[in-house]
Amino acid sequence: MDIPAKWFKQKKWKAFPFQKKTWQAMSENKSGLLNSPTGSGKTYALWFGVLHNYYKKFKRPPKQKQLHCLWITPLRALSKEILLATQQVSKDLELDYTIALRTGDTSVTERAKQRKKSPNALITTPESIHILLASKEYDKFFSGLEFIIVDEWHELMGSKRGVQIELALSRLKALNPELKIWGISATIGNLEEAKDILLGKKGSESSIIKADLDKQISIETIYPDVIEKFSWVGHLGIQLLPKIIPIVEASNSTLIFVNVRSQAEIWYQKLLEAAPHLAGRIAVHHGSLSENIRKWVEDNLHEGNLKAVVCTSSLDLGVDFRSVDTVIQVGSSKGIARFIQRAGRSGHYPGALSRSYFVPTNSLEIIEGSALKAAIADHLVEQRIPYVRSFDVLVQYLVTLAVSNGFPAEEIFKEVKGTHCFESITQEEFTWCLQFITNGGTSLKAYSDYHKVVVENGIYKVTNKSIAMRHRLSIGTIVSDSMMSVKFMGGKKIGVVEEWFISQLKPGDSFWFGGKNLEVVSVKDMEVRVRSSKKKTGKAPAFLGGRLPLSSQLSQSIRLQLNDFKNNDIHYEELRQLAPLLDLQQKVSHLPGKDELLIEQFKTRDGYHTFVYPFEGRFVHEGMAAILAYRIGLLEPFTFSIGMNDYGFELLSDKPLNMEMVIDNNLFSPEFLYDDALKSMNAIEMAKRRFRDIATIAGLVFTGYPGKQKKTRHLQASAQLFFKVFEDYDKDNLLFRQAYDETLDFQLEITRMQTAFKRISVQKIIITNPNKPTPFSFPILVDTLRERFSNEDFQTRIDKILNLVI
Amino acid sequence: MSESLLEIELSGESLYLLPQKAVYRPSLKQLILSDVHLGKGTHFRKQGLPLPHSSHLKDIDTLHFLFDKWEPMTVLILGDLFHSDYNKEWLWFKSLLLQYPYIQFILIEGNHDILEDEHYALKNLFKTERLEDEHFIFSHHPTNENQKINFCGHIHPGVRIEGTAKQSEKLPCFYFCKQQFILPAFGYLTGLQILKPEAGARCFLVAGVTVVELKKY
Repeated sequence: MDIPAKWFKQKKWKAFPFQKKTWQAMSENKSGLLNSPTGSGKTYALWFGVLHNYYKKFKRPPKQKQLHCLWITPLRALSKEILLATQQVSKDLELDYTIALRTGDTSVTERAKQRKKSPNALITTPESIHILLASKEYDKFFSGLEFIIVDEWHELMGSKRGVQIELALSRLKALNPELKIWGISATIGNLEEAKDILLGKKGSESSIIKADLDKQISIETIYPDVIEKFSWVGHLGIQLLPKIIPIVEASNSTLIFVNVRSQAEIWYQKLLEAAPHLAGRIAVHHGSLSENIRKWVEDNLHEGNLKAVVCTSSLDLGVDFRSVDTVIQVGSSKGIARFIQRAGRSGHYPGALSRSYFVPTNSLEIIEGSALKAAIADHLVEQRIPYVRSFDVLVQYLVTLAVSNGFPAEEIFKEVKGTHCFESITQEEFTWCLQFITNGGTSLKAYSDYHKVVVENGIYKVTNKSIAMRHRLSIGTIVSDSMMSVKFMGGKKIGVVEEWFISQLKPGDSFWFGGKNLEVVSVKDMEVRVRSSKKKTGKAPAFLGGRLPLSSQLSQSIRLQLNDFKNNDIHYEELRQLAPLLDLQQKVSHLPGKDELLIEQFKTRDGYHTFVYPFEGRFVHEGMAAILAYRIGLLEPFTFSIGMNDYGFELLSDKPLNMEMVIDNNLFSPEFLYDDALKSMNAIEMAKRRFRDIATIAGLVFTGYPGKQKKTRHLQASAQLFFKVFEDYDKDNLLFRQAYDETLDFQLEITRMQTAFKRISVQKIIITNPNKPTPFSFPILVDTLRERFSNEDFQTRIDKILNLVI
Repeated sequence: MSESLLEIELSGESLYLLPQKAVYRPSLKQLILSDVHLGKGTHFRKQGLPLPHSSHLKDIDTLHFLFDKWEPMTVLILGDLFHSDYNKEWLWFKSLLLQYPYIQFILIEGNHDILEDEHYALKNLFKTERLEDEHFIFSHHPTNENQKINFCGHIHPGVRIEGTAKQSEKLPCFYFCKQQFILPAFGYLTGLQILKPEAGARCFLVAGVTVVELKKY
C-alpha cells in the first residue's frame, strides 16, 4: 500500500479528490500550483507527494542524509504548524524522514547542527533561504534538493519577499534542473499569473489544481444602538465592545482581528476591564511580541484554553486552531480576500461554517459590511500585484552570492533574467548593478576607495570580513523602524517596540504591551528593562502602519451600495441602519450615485477646503490629489495641504479654489496622467519615503537588529541623505529611479488611478457648498497625517510660512 | 529674494549670521563654523556605502566662497571638521589651507576629530579643546559654564516650522538658549536634529538664501 493510503486508513479519513490529484501530479515529477483555502488539508496534499517521491527513490535509507525538501512559509507561526503536522506523519508511519525548522528564531547551535547533519526537510522563510545562500558551499547543502513548496504564495507574491523567492529559485533551479516547485495559494484574481511567476516560463508541464471546496461564510455586522450617537471618525471601535462580550461568551474560542498592534493592546485592555471574569482566558497576539509569548498564546489556542485572542495580521495565515468557531473583524478589512482569509480562521476544517462578525469603528464604515457581503456573493476577489525590477533586492542578492561562494557574472545574469521580476532587465542595467557593488556606481568615475565586492578571476566576491558580517545581518526585505527589545529585570524577553516610542518615555512611565502594564526601569543599548506596574493607566505603543488602502474591488462594491441606497434598492440590513447618516449627507450636501462625482467646498479657520469623493482607496486618492494640485498649479500658483481617507481626499489651501476653473480646464482628464504623476510626485516626496526601504534593502543604510545593534563607528547616515546626494550627483542611479517606479506602481497605483480618472471623465460632477462639515468630509478634515503639495518654489513656500512665524 | 544675512548682537559684539550656516564676527574679522564632517563620503565608500564621490566638493566650494567674500583673519571651527579615520579628503582641506596662508585656522576638537596628530601639524592650523576670549567661550559640546556665552556645535540643530493649510518645513538653525549659542552643522553630508524651542530661546532659521529669526513658536 502506498504511503498516503496507509496513513489515511490509519486515521480513518478519506482523501479529497484534490489531494489525490496532487499526489498523482507530483509522482509524475510535475510542478504546479495548488489553489486551496486554509483548513482544507492542503498540507497533506503536498506532503504525501514529497514522501512518496522520497521513498520511491530510496527503498533503503541512504548512508548520508541530504536535504530533500524546502517548505517556505511567510510566517513563523505557520512554520511551526507545518513542522508539527509533518513530524506527526513520520511518527504515525514510523518513517525515518526527518523535518527541522529554520527561521530567524533558530539558534546558532541548531543551525550549525543542521549544516553538519542535514534533515530531509527544512521548514523555513524567504529570508532564511537567502541566509543559507550566503553561507560557504551552499551548493553542496542544496545538491540533493528535489522539492520546494511555497506556502501562501499569494501572500508572498505581492511583496519583495516574493522577489527574494524568485531569485532563490533561479539559483536553486540552476543547481538542480530537476527541481520540482509547488505553490499553495488562496483564491486571488490573478491565479494563472501567480503560477507563472512562481514556476517560470516552463509553465506547460505545470498545472493548477483547485480544491473546489465551497467554504460557507456567515457575516454579521454589529450595530450601535443609536446610529446618530455613533462616532463619525472613530478608529478603535471600542464603543461597540460591550456588544462583543456576549458573542465571545457564547462561542467556544473567538479571534478578534484588529488592524494595528496598538489597537490590539487597547482592545485587550478594554476587554479585560469590561469582562474581568475572562481574565486568564483571553490573550493578545501580534508581531512585536516575543517568540515565547506568541507560542504560549498559539499553544493555548490550540488546546482550546482561550476564550478570545485579540490579534493582528500575525494570525492571518494558515495556522489551524480547531477550537476557534468565531471571528470578529474590528474596523475595515480593506479588502475582500483579507476578510475571507480572516473569517476562514473559524471553522478551520473541511466543510465547516466560518462564522464572522464585522465591527465598524465609525458610522460610515458600516457600509463596508454590506459591501463585503455583496462582493462575496458576486465572487469578487482582489489581484496580487507582483513587484518587478526591484534592483534593491537584486543588489542584496548579488552581494549575498558574493559573500558565500562568489559568482561569475554571465551565469547569474542568465538566471536573473529568467525570473518574472527581472524579465526586462538589460545587460546595461545588470552591469550597473555589478558596478554598483564593486565600485559604487557608474555615473561618476570609479571610486578607488570603494571595496564592497571585488572581482578575482572573473568571480565576484566579498573578501572584507566586516562587510560580509554586516551583509549577513541585513539580509531581508522587511524594513522596520529601529526596534528596542523589551525585557523584564530578570532578563526575560517580552518583545520589541519601536525606538521612537520608547524615546518618549522616562523611567517610571508605564505602557501597555503584550496585555500587561509595564513600568520603564531603564533604557540602555537598545534595550528597555521593565517591571509589572499596578497602575491602571499607561500609553499604548502607537505603532505606525495599518494604513493599507481599500482595495479596488471593495471600493467598487461600496460605490454600488451607495447607489443602491440612493435608488432605494436595498438588499442588506447595513444600509437600513445607515439611513439616518446617509439621509443627513443628502440633506446637507449630496449623496452621489454611481454616475456622479461629489465635490464639497467650504471654509474653516484652517483655510479653504475642497473635498472630492472618488471612493478609490487612500493611495489612489493621494495620487489624484497630487495630480490635481499640480494641474491647478499650471494655471495659478497654489500651495495645498492634502488629506485623504479611503473614500475621498481634500485639498486645503490658504486661498479659495475655483472649481469651475478646474472643470472648465478639464483637469480630471485621464490624458498625460503618467507624465503629470511623475512631475507632481517630485514635489510631494513620496519617492523619498519609498527610498527609505530601498536604501535599507540595498545595504546603504545599516539598521542592525533589535537589542544587538553592532557598533558601526561613524557609519550612521539616513536614507534621506543618500536620496539628497543621489538627486544632486547621481540621478541615473537605478535605486534612485526605482523609488520613482515603485511610487507609481504601488503608492499611486497608477493603473488603478488611470481607471478612476477615466470613470470620472464620464461622471456628472456635483459641487455643493455645505455650511459645515458633512458625514463624508469630517473624517478627512480631522485626520492629521498629511501630505504637502506645492508648485511654488522652495523659497516662496518658506517665505510664506515665515511671514507667519517671524 | 536675494541673499541676505542677519545681524545680531551678543555680549555687545556684532555678529552676522550667514545663510551658508556660518557666523562672521566683523570686530575680529573672524569666521565661525561647526560640524563640517569632511571625509564622510570617502569613509562611507570604504565601508561599502556608496555616497557619490564629488559630494564633498560642495563644502570646499562654500568655504572658498566665504573666505573670498569675507576675507577673515581667523577661521574658528567648532569641532567635527573631519568625519572619521584618515582618508584622502583631508588633502582637500590641506590644500585649502595652503591657498589661504594668511588665515589662521583654529580647530576646537570634536568627538569626530580622531586623526593622528601628524595630520593636524599644519602651519596655519591650531588645534585645541577649548577657546575663550573676552566675550565668548568656544567648545564643541555645549558646556554649562555660564559666565560667558558659549559658542558650540555638535547638535546639528533644526526646527520644524508650520504655516497655514498644515504646511510644514524642516530648516537648520542657529539656536540660542541659556547662554549657549549652538551653530547649525556646516557640512553638506549632515542631517538635522529637530529641536522644540524652549521658552526664552532664540532661533535663527537658515531659510534658503536668508537667515531670519523665528518669532512665534
